[in-house]
Amino acid sequence: MRTPARSARSQRWLVRASRLALATAALLFAVSITAWAAGKQGKDAAAKTTDETGKTADGETPAAKADTVHVTIQTVPPRKAQVKWGRKNLGPIPAPRALVLERPRDSGPLDLTIHASGFLPVHTRAYTFTDSRVAVKLTPPTEKNTLFGYREEPAPPPNPDAGAPPALPDPPKP
Amino acid sequence: MQAPAVAPEPAHTDNQAFVVHDGKESWVDAEAAARSGYTIIDFSDDWTPFIFAEQSGPDGIVMHNRYRRVFLGLANDTLDEDGEPLPAGEKNYLELYGIPPSFGVLRARFLANEQQTCHATINQEKLEEVETIAYVAPEKMKSEAERTARLHRELEDARKKNSAATLAELAQKETSFAPKVKAYERRVAEKAAMAEVEKRLACEGMLKHGGKHTTGVYDDAMRLAVRRFQQKNMIYEANYLRSKTMDALALPPLANDYQAFMRVLRERVVSAAGVVEDGSVESKAGAPTYTGKSGKPVALRNLVDELTKSAAEQLGLSTQEAALAFFKHHPAADFRRLRAAVKLPALPEYYAPDMDLSIVIDRGDVWYDLPWDASGVRHPQPRKHYPSFHLYLKYNNQRILLARWRTTVGGWRAEQATDGYEYFRYKGSDVGPRVIRNIVAGPVWIAPESTPIRSLLKMKDVAGSWQRVVNYDELGPGYLSAYGLVAGYFVQPGKNGKADWDNGIRAHGSSDYLSIYSSEGYSHGCHRLPNHLAIRLYSFILRHRPMRILGDQGMGFARQFLASDDVFEIRLPSRGYSYQLEPPLPVEVLEGDIKGTLKTPVLTYVPKPGIKYPGPPPAVRNSDEGRAGAGAKSEGEE
Repeated sequence: MRTPARSARSQRWLVRASRLALATAALLFAVSITAWAAGKQGKDAAAKTTDETGKTADGETPAAKADTVHVTIQTVPPRKAQVKWGRKNLGPIPAPRALVLERPRDSGPLDLTIHASGFLPVHTRAYTFTDSRVAVKLTPPTEKNTLFGYREEPAPPPNPDAGAPPALPDPPKP
Repeated sequence: MQAPAVAPEPAHTDNQAFVVHDGKESWVDAEAAARSGYTIIDFSDDWTPFIFAEQSGPDGIVMHNRYRRVFLGLANDTLDEDGEPLPAGEKNYLELYGIPPSFGVLRARFLANEQQTCHATINQEKLEEVETIAYVAPEKMKSEAERTARLHRELEDARKKNSAATLAELAQKETSFAPKVKAYERRVAEKAAMAEVEKRLACEGMLKHGGKHTTGVYDDAMRLAVRRFQQKNMIYEANYLRSKTMDALALPPLANDYQAFMRVLRERVVSAAGVVEDGSVESKAGAPTYTGKSGKPVALRNLVDELTKSAAEQLGLSTQEAALAFFKHHPAADFRRLRAAVKLPALPEYYAPDMDLSIVIDRGDVWYDLPWDASGVRHPQPRKHYPSFHLYLKYNNQRILLARWRTTVGGWRAEQATDGYEYFRYKGSDVGPRVIRNIVAGPVWIAPESTPIRSLLKMKDVAGSWQRVVNYDELGPGYLSAYGLVAGYFVQPGKNGKADWDNGIRAHGSSDYLSIYSSEGYSHGCHRLPNHLAIRLYSFILRHRPMRILGDQGMGFARQFLASDDVFEIRLPSRGYSYQLEPPLPVEVLEGDIKGTLKTPVLTYVPKPGIKYPGPPPAVRNSDEGRAGAGAKSEGEE
């Protein structure tokens, strides 16, 4: 039979081992994302990326469907940006390169938020029906009036007291 | 006709279907059964209506439909409307919106309700005692209670004064008190019934959604629970305790489950038989007739009900107990690929692979006048004659009306102008001859720039974060989409090599059933049908007209808009899954009866009362996608 002390020790060991496993998994995930982004550098332009209609850039339809799809995310103009999916940080867009995510095929859409310094945050959606490219246009705050939905507030009504001197405060009481 | 050979009892294969003889199930080869006149009814959990079924092109390659997976996930309670996994134990209840539960889901519902004990604590009599429960706004609960207490005191004083033993006796002795006694007793009965409604909704696990509920109060949690109950039981009513809702609440859960079972069976039978006649053309005088081959008048049959009833009887599923026994007999795994073979009554003589069908839409009573005055006071625009959708068949030189349903026409809607402000605009329904060339399953509505921004956003839990996102519910594909689950596109055929002219009018499914059935309901010009009827209609048309499967209509649409210093981007990868009718289906839209002062529609923007605008209204924008926007709902519309 296991003694209480040994049991506590083995529990501590289990906790440490789980932490180590989690850290390793996180590191591997980060490395794979970076590798994707780095590996794709330069290849992106030449690679047969598919648009959201499922056809390749040269009009071909991929012969066999893999279990996963690749979602390529870029910014326009190319700027470094963070891609978030809810609370999860999916990683940086290493502009001018793209961030490439691998997702299970047909696993539902991803509602993403793109944060780039000096630009308004952009909320967009990526689909997993097939390989796709999401080119996100960035807009600086100074140009937000170019976006649909921007509206100018009506001018304030003319002040009926315009030109009259401001009312004097009450004289101090004796 | 010879009955197919009966296979040995135990295991069945994917190629087999069950038949019922003398109350016992046996297995037959499905293809052989079909050849010998049986209709194969799909009981499997991967059933979809025809419009979402896996289709193959002329080369035999499967042409995938993006929405099929989501439809199946919603029907099986495994996915949400975005196609993301549904949290464990969560239910969709989308029958009201055109997505019936799978038999696997119904099986679980039957078995759970048979086991649950909380229903025994509900007093059915109290529920049956009232026809409806009047809505009292939460903020008026206190004053309403005081009013009832005052009334009670007044009646008690009168009872004592008149030496009556009960209030009923008082009402008899002193008839002037009768209306007050009736009002008081009604209120008391409603209060008692409300307590039972709360128990019932809690028992069905529906009061756990929508925040905290305060006992006795018709608050948001209660309203959402009632809505879920209505969705579950396919009740087309506003989210209050009205008569149909109360009727269903007064029925035991298994009785409601059986009604759901029959509705689900109905859709499977309709799909298997390819029929549409649902008795909607019947009047007080009965069913209309047509002249048959024999030269004698033949009454138009309600094939939807007749065939469903026949299937249920042949399969021994005509009672709640039989349905429960059926689900107990078949484990959940059976519904992976379960099919039944039945001999349905013969279809009418006018049935053929190519039927001369056409659609007529009667706009009914139409008002062009503004329904508000400058100070925002509404002016009633009553309609006696509502818009209606008619499906006709030309057969032996006669026009036979197969189905007639309520629909919508356009009216005054809110629209966002180029200055970023909302105005009213009259969005009418075109009149005259048109055709439907394309039918799109899982259609996408491209929100025009005139769509109010407020309707393009919603809150959503995104990977653990509650945040604003683009409201794809409205855009589609999906049951809540502005075009519903399926749409037929009205166009004027192009002549001399020119393209068809599309003014953005469609006849489409809709989840906004109140806009179809309420006296105040209007669309943006389109003709809406409840999703389940639109599915039946277009599945029927596609199966009885020559057509070509075009498949998924990919596109790479993206548009950005600004909302409080955040940019939102609409991205739509597909227009939907398209079928092309060859030749197209004729449509005629009748003008209807123009009421009021104005005899032609106003074509400019009209400022909303009480809104301060930076200047005069800008010119209106036109786009063919701007018509059906459920996104731009009128003020006060749900």
